[in-house]
Amino acid sequence: MSDIVQREEFGDVVILHIRTTSVDAISASAIASACTDMRSVTVLDFDEVSFINSAGISALLKFVVTARKAGYKLFAMNVSPHHQKIFKMVEMSRFMPTIEEQDLDVYR
Amino acid sequence: MERVEVRIPSNPIFERVVRASAAEIGESCGFSTERIEDLKLAVSEAVNNAIEHGNRIGTGEPVAVVFVLDDEKLEIVISDQGGGIGRLDISRRVVDEQHLDSGMLRGFGMYFITALVDDYEIASSQTGTILTLRLYRKD
Repeated sequence: MSDIVQREEFGDVVILHIRTTSVDAISASAIASACTDMRSVTVLDFDEVSFINSAGISALLKFVVTARKAGYKLFAMNVSPHHQKIFKMVEMSRFMPTIEEQDLDVYR
Repeated sequence: MERVEVRIPSNPIFERVVRASAAEIGESCGFSTERIEDLKLAVSEAVNNAIEHGNRIGTGEPVAVVFVLDDEKLEIVISDQGGGIGRLDISRRVVDEQHLDSGMLRGFGMYFITALVDDYEIASSQTGTILTLRLYRKD
């Protein structure tokens, strides 16, 4: 696992904290590599992310594909209003809905 | 009228330099935070297209970006020296089951550009592509 993605696990949940401000062509492959070790509930944490472009979305879609194949639930957390708009534009939110941190308490 | 010119090697890391410039220039135009985010994304996609599909990463040809500010608008002209583009698909591209299952996970860039700027022009030939984006000072 790269330094760009930090794992936090409890129960059936893994939170993948994205530790870069730019989810773009440069960080895409390091982020996408974390999709090989997902759990039945996987949450991508965008708290530190200030920029996402189409190369970044392609990387995030690898999590969507893996989750669909494995029957996992995939969520996004701490998504900025701008990135919520971008996710809605491409209908990403249909496959990776947002979740609030307190909603994860039921899994702890 | 004021001009800012940025010339970068065809290496994706330098797209971040242009994006940072776009953010500063958008702020100097008095754009809202949301509009600056739209500007950054549109410029990022245009520059990445010029690097990847125009100059074909690492060929040594630079990507030129010119920001032109006047009282009415901000115009951004992105030029590459590639072989030009054929058919351009600017249709809305969304994530759907069919694309996911077939592994087609790319192709959102031009949709973002056309959806997030006020207007745009594309001039493409065998000697390169020039993409012009405009955002008007509405507020």
